[in-house]
Amino acid sequence: MNNPFENTPSSAATTTFINPFAADTAPRSEALVFSGRGGEYFGIWIVNLLLTVLTLGIYSAWAKVRRLQYFHRHTTLGGAAFDYHGDPRAILKGRVIGFLLLLGYNISFEVSPLLGFLVLGLLAAAMPVLLMRSLRFRALNTSWRGLRFGFDGDQRGAYRAFLMWPLLSVFTLYLLAPMWHQRMKRYQLDSARFGATRFEFTAPVSAFYRMYGVLLLLLLLGMTMTGGMVLLVIEAIEGSRELAVLMPIAVLLGWVALFLLIQPYLTARLQNLVWNHTRLGAHRFESHARARTLYAITFTNLVAIVCTLGFFAPFAAIRTARYRIESVTLVSAGPLDDFVAGQKQAVSATGEETADIFDVDIAL
Amino acid sequence: MSTSPSEALTVAALYFDGHSARAWPATLSLDGDALLLAAEGLSRRAPLASLRLSEPMGAAPRLITFDDGAHAEVRDHAALARLLGASGQRDRLTVRSAFDLRMVAGALALLVVVLWGAARYGLPWAAEVAAPRVPEAVVTGLSRQTLELIDEHMLAPSTLADAEQSRLRSVLAGRTTLSHALVFRHGGAVGPNAFALPDGTLVVTDELIELAGDDERVMAVLMHELGHVERRHGMRMLLQGSVVALFMTWYAGDVSSVIAMAPTALIQSGYSRDMEREADDYAAAALRAQGRSPALLADMLQRLSESADRGRKDGGGWLDSHPDSAQRIERLRDRP
Repeated sequence: MNNPFENTPSSAATTTFINPFAADTAPRSEALVFSGRGGEYFGIWIVNLLLTVLTLGIYSAWAKVRRLQYFHRHTTLGGAAFDYHGDPRAILKGRVIGFLLLLGYNISFEVSPLLGFLVLGLLAAAMPVLLMRSLRFRALNTSWRGLRFGFDGDQRGAYRAFLMWPLLSVFTLYLLAPMWHQRMKRYQLDSARFGATRFEFTAPVSAFYRMYGVLLLLLLLGMTMTGGMVLLVIEAIEGSRELAVLMPIAVLLGWVALFLLIQPYLTARLQNLVWNHTRLGAHRFESHARARTLYAITFTNLVAIVCTLGFFAPFAAIRTARYRIESVTLVSAGPLDDFVAGQKQAVSATGEETADIFDVDIAL
Repeated sequence: MSTSPSEALTVAALYFDGHSARAWPATLSLDGDALLLAAEGLSRRAPLASLRLSEPMGAAPRLITFDDGAHAEVRDHAALARLLGASGQRDRLTVRSAFDLRMVAGALALLVVVLWGAARYGLPWAAEVAAPRVPEAVVTGLSRQTLELIDEHMLAPSTLADAEQSRLRSVLAGRTTLSHALVFRHGGAVGPNAFALPDGTLVVTDELIELAGDDERVMAVLMHELGHVERRHGMRMLLQGSVVALFMTWYAGDVSSVIAMAPTALIQSGYSRDMEREADDYAAAALRAQGRSPALLADMLQRLSESADRGRKDGGGWLDSHPDSAQRIERLRDRP
C-alpha cells in the first residue's frame, strides 16, 4: 500500500533558504531536500530495535513514531521541515488489533475451513474501513509549516477502492488490476488535503495500463530466466537427497531475483506517475525518479544488507529515501505562505485528539 | 558582537502560528523562566514549562511547540544548545543514546546478548510453558496439515500388508497408555525413518520395520517417538520456530506469510539435543517398565547409523534429525 504522505511530500531546503516574504507570483520550483544520514539513523534504529526486543514488541509503536519523525523532520520544502505527530499509544492499539486479527484468522483456519472463510469474509468487510482510518490517521498526523494534512475519504469510496475493485480485478483475471490501482490512488489523493487546500489526482487509467504493460513484459522475461535457472538446479539435484536441501534456497533466490527485477521499476514509475499528475490547489508536483538509479540502489542495498546480517538496513533506508524524496519538486503557482488551516482544524483543537482516539493506525 | 550575556543567547528561528503556512522569521531568547519570541509585528512570551521541545535528530530542525499548537523551527543547533544550557534543559536517555557513539555500541552489544539469551533460555522456557496450553483443535489441525504435506512431497503409501499393520498397532496399544495413532508409509528417498506429530500420530516407514527385523526394536523406536509426544517437543519446537520467524519477518520489515510457513517449519526443525535425550530417557524408562532393555533402542540407533553411513547418497534418514548418535548409544547401553 503506497501512502501518499509517506516520505514523499515535503518541506524547505537547508541550503536554498527561501525568503518567506517574497511575493512574486511567477511559477517557481521548490525541490524537496532530504538531510537524513545513515550513521545518525543507525543510532535511532539500534536503540529502537533493542527496546522493542526488551519490551517484547510493545516499544515498536514508539519506535515507529521516532523513525517517522526522523524521516519527516529531515525532509525540507520551501525552508520548513515536515513533522509527524502520531500518538504511539494509538499506534500500539492499532498493532494489537492487527495482530489479534491475524492470529484469529490463522487459528480459525486450523480449527475448521468453514470458520476460516467466515473470519476471512469478516476481515474483508472490515478492511476498507480500517484502511480509510489508517489513511486519515497518517494524514492528520503529518504537518508542514504548522498545518496538518487531512484525509476526507468516505466509507463508500473506501469500499469501492479496497473491496469492489480488487474483487473485480480478480474476477477478470487481473485485466482490471491497473484500473484498480488507479482508482485506489485516486481515492487516496483526491480525498487528501493540506490545511484547507485540496489535492487533485489526474492520472489517467491508460497511464497505469502502460506501466503495467511494461511490468508484465519484465515479469515474463524474469520468469523465463529465473524459472530456467530453477529447472536447471532441480535437474542437477534430481535423485540426490543431499543436494535437495538446496531446493528451497534456489526457489528463494528466484523470488529475490524477481523482486529485484520488478520492485525498483514499479517504485520509480509509480512515484513519477502519481506526483506528475497530482495538484495541490494551484500548485503541482514534478517527479523524475529514474528506474535504473533505483535498480542500482536496491541491488547494492540488498547485497550490503545480506553481507552485514541486516545491520546495513538503516543506511539502506536513508539511501532510498534520499533518492525518492529528492526526485520530487513542487512547482508553486504562488507564495507558499498562502496556505491556510483546514476548516475542521480551525473549528476545534480537539479534532486531532478525537482522531487519535477513534482512528487506529494499521501497518499494512 | 554581543554587548550583554542575554543578547548572546539569541537564536534565529522560523515561527508558524498553526493557522496559516506563513513563515515568520523570528528570534528566541530567555527571559527568566520564560521563552521570548520576537518577529516583525509579533511577539509572544511563554513559560518554559508550557513548551514542548522535539528531540535532536542531527541536522533536522528542532521544533519548539507552544500550548496553542503554534511552533518555532530552529536550525541553528549551536545557538540553541547554548540557550538550552542556560535554561537547564536535558534530553531523555533514549534520545541521547541514539547519537552517542559509546551508547550506540553499548546498545548493539546489549542487543546481541539479549537476543542470544532469549534464543538460548527465554524462548525454550516460554515454549515449554505455552505448549500444553495450545488448544487441542489447533494441535490436531496442524498435525493433519503436516502429514498431508509430508505425504505429498516425501512419502508414498506403505507396501506393508494390512494384517501386519494391524498386528503392529495392537502390539503398540498394549505397550502404552498415551493417546496415539500409528500409520505406515513407504520412505523411498527418506529411507528408514520414524517421527511423531504433536497430536500423537506416529509415522513409521517400511524401511525402518525391515531394518529393525523384529517387533521389539520397532517398539523401542516408537517409545522414543512417544517420548517426543509426551513432552510436547513438536509443539515446543513449532512455537519457538514461529517466534523466531515472527522476529525475522519483523526485522526484515515484511509482515505476512509467517503462519503459512508453520507446517514447513515443523518438518524442517529438528529436535534439540536436550529433547532427544529426554525422549531417550522416556523410552528407556518405558522399556524397563515393560521388562525390556533400553539396549534395544541403542541397537536400533546403531543399525540406523550404519544404514546412514552405507547410503549417504540415497538418504541419511532418521539420524539426520538425531545428532550425536554414538553418544546416545553409549548412554542407553550404560543403563542397567
